Amino acid sequence: MTVAVDSMRADLAALVGMSQVQSDVAACAAWAVDGRVPDCAIFPATAKQVAAVLHYASEHHLALIPRGAGTKISIGNPPARYDMALCLGELKRVVHYEPADLTISVEPGMTFAEFQSLVGQKGLWLPLDPRGGAKATMGGIIAASAAGALRQGFGGPRDMVLGLKIATTGGKIAKTGGRVVKNVAGYDLGKLLTGSFGTLGVIVEACLKLFPKPPERATFRMRAGTLGIARDLRRRILRSPHDALRLVLLDARAVALLEDSTQAPERPDAELWIELGGSHRVIERCMLDLRQLASAVGATIVRRDDAERAWERVSNLTVWLQPQFRDVTVLKATLPIAASEEFLSRAQQEAEAERITLASFAQVGIGIIHLCALQEALAANLAGWAARLRQAAAGLGGTLVIEHCPLELKRGLDIWGPGGDDLAIMRKMKAAWDPTNVLSPGRYVGGI
Amino acid sequence: MKSSALAKELVRIVGEDGVLWRQEDLMLYEYDALSSMRQPDAVVFPHTTAHVVEIAKLALRHNHPLIARGAGTGLSGGSVATEGGIVLGFSRMKKILEIDLENQRARVQPGVVNLDLSLAVADDGYYYAPDPSSQKACTIGGNVAENSGGPHTLAYGVTTNHVLALELVLPDGEVIHTGASHWDRPGYDLSGVFVGSEGTLGIVTEATVRLSRKPEAVKTLLAIYNQVVGATRTVAAITARGITPAALEMMDGFCLRAVEDAVHAGYPKDCAAVLLIEVEGLREAVEEHADEIEAVCQENLAREVRRAKSAEERDLLWKGRKGAFGALGRITPNFYVQDGVIPRTRLPEMLDFIASLEKKYELHIGNIFHAGDGNLHPLILYDERNREQTSRVFKAAREIITRCVEMGGSITGEHGVGLEKSDLMPLIFSEVDLELMGRIKNLFNPQGRLNPGKLLPTGKMCGELRGGLLGGGTA
Repeated sequence: MTVAVDSMRADLAALVGMSQVQSDVAACAAWAVDGRVPDCAIFPATAKQVAAVLHYASEHHLALIPRGAGTKISIGNPPARYDMALCLGELKRVVHYEPADLTISVEPGMTFAEFQSLVGQKGLWLPLDPRGGAKATMGGIIAASAAGALRQGFGGPRDMVLGLKIATTGGKIAKTGGRVVKNVAGYDLGKLLTGSFGTLGVIVEACLKLFPKPPERATFRMRAGTLGIARDLRRRILRSPHDALRLVLLDARAVALLEDSTQAPERPDAELWIELGGSHRVIERCMLDLRQLASAVGATIVRRDDAERAWERVSNLTVWLQPQFRDVTVLKATLPIAASEEFLSRAQQEAEAERITLASFAQVGIGIIHLCALQEALAANLAGWAARLRQAAAGLGGTLVIEHCPLELKRGLDIWGPGGDDLAIMRKMKAAWDPTNVLSPGRYVGGI
Repeated sequence: MKSSALAKELVRIVGEDGVLWRQEDLMLYEYDALSSMRQPDAVVFPHTTAHVVEIAKLALRHNHPLIARGAGTGLSGGSVATEGGIVLGFSRMKKILEIDLENQRARVQPGVVNLDLSLAVADDGYYYAPDPSSQKACTIGGNVAENSGGPHTLAYGVTTNHVLALELVLPDGEVIHTGASHWDRPGYDLSGVFVGSEGTLGIVTEATVRLSRKPEAVKTLLAIYNQVVGATRTVAAITARGITPAALEMMDGFCLRAVEDAVHAGYPKDCAAVLLIEVEGLREAVEEHADEIEAVCQENLAREVRRAKSAEERDLLWKGRKGAFGALGRITPNFYVQDGVIPRTRLPEMLDFIASLEKKYELHIGNIFHAGDGNLHPLILYDERNREQTSRVFKAAREIITRCVEMGGSITGEHGVGLEKSDLMPLIFSEVDLELMGRIKNLFNPQGRLNPGKLLPTGKMCGELRGGLLGGGTA
């Protein structure tokens, strides 16, 4: 059953309060997704209200897209339908916090900056550097399974979520997991919701595992003349006793961008950046070992102490690059670690063939590679490039997702790529959670 | 269908030597490390995924329950046949299919023994991180089903953090592949749902797992206390210093004496508790952390802190810890192991409470557990021939679990819900939560033929601990 916009507004106002519903066209334009503007935006203040809104939407077949700060909203196919924006920014309480147990439960709208600043007072952190950075919300980080370069050292959100409360389209609030660091009671639905991009339910509370911050961190830049040298270095580093916190291989253009250099790079050398953590003594030891590793393959090495801003950029490419390159396209390839450099080489060749200006940011220690096409290119060229790289990734045993791109490109390509033989189960999963298909419809894998 | 008729059909799939159906053979499969139940109708040993598919289809045609079984070391009754049916034994699917060190992964069949995988890559400096105490016997398939932990999961995470991809057979015989050998395959994290689903959603026929690089240095400390509370306070104090040891185990004096008599690991028999603490990593970091930990132990009134001087000394200390349950078997006819979890800061309070239960129920309760993550394993000693005493054991165990829940903890940290605790699930999950889990189960296992009676409440004995109480096993 569908309803007229006016009555929908009135019904929603009854659920969450008049002031929590926004419906004028100009205001709603701010919540557009892939060019589609919703009829209204709702700002629930409690988890129960979220559940009530979901239930209402489900009953009336009204499509909604949950969102935090919107920093990752471009990840997804254009919505099949979109009636309401479900804005979760007002749910931002800390529900429980036990620093000594290294656990905390927060609501989804809390920003990453607020979160880190709170736990940072006790020397703790959540070792993630998600897209969206400080502005990203905790719910969005989990829903999008957003992890940046720190994933090398600490894993991703799936490894840090201890429990979730989830508002369902049935109007209920369900719990999975708990508040302790070790727990195998019941199905681990936290894993299912992490990275489900708001297609199954809405996270209204998350219990997370915290980590002590390393006493010191240091970044080293190693310049490798060729991708072959970079591969050699990567192998030696991963086999060494050092546990990198972050490890990224940058092409010369990526380095220039990170350094705010306006000049074309002198030499087309790739750089491998590595961050390590520990006491002063430990870092000194790391430096000695890395020097040896680098000289063994003929790479130069320098220590860089003010790398934090550069690292934030590496993990937040879309937001960082957009002001400079309005039409930036960001591809994310995920590969077996050993295939990283070969894929990078293919990406460069293909970019040259399509006259695409490429900057690559490759987490070569975990096989996650971001490719940025910087300048406005013909949509057809971009589409061909992305399609061939998707094929190349598949040939190397990996996948490729288009994380950000101009809308016309999205209309012609599935941003996720093909599903596997578990797609039927994923569809069943979606139908079990969202039988009337109202949560972010059409945006996810396989048209879910 | 009679066992013999069923056996004939199974023989057609896997051959004469791959099926057990005689009463005397089936008796060996009526129990696991928790308890004894009715016998399965047949036990079958597939060699390939195709065999598992055929067996699943056969079970579907005749409406038989299907129960996957690794080594039967599970402590929650996860592999016992509650309603008869076909037990799938994976002891003939134990090949390591691929070791790929550059990509830090291995692809294995479900019957591969946990420790064998680590040994296979040890010479190259790698290992498989999750290390349940039963790792000499338990299988990767069983670990995946139970999301097994172990002492070293404190720093490295449990099974789910080390599984990249799975091949599964669903109860209708369909084969699906979840995850990938790389990170972030687009789509729902179905591997994450399957790990820990206790054989109720699908049957694992292949797993791709992460391999970890061995640390450069390891230091093992034994902190000895005259009072239990010093040991429990030390646990939270170490965390507060920002140190995450690779392992942080506690053993009380009672267990320690039993272990020492059996293993001769050099544990001091006259103390109230010890902490077994291990730090790993770069040499310099390990030295610093070991010094800091030693200082924390002393601040919390440790009588003595010893450091293992050699790999042999270290192995001996761990042999004592991992063999503790076996050692207790020497001094009691039966014991019941609990597996509750509490926030680690509540350990002192919890151990006082357990001590009070010993008095209240006139029982001996030993404590040996993963202190670092608040995962308790109280061991309640009893003699199953004494039915009155056995009922006191249940009551005490129930009180411990209830207190764990009151403290914000969980009813199981690593042993699983299984048969034992399915009816305790309502202590921590609401009807809404359980209904949702039921819906997930129905997607995969609509007729409930896969491992019936496990994980979700049966509704028959709400709020009760179950199990035939055959103590033993390892944790």
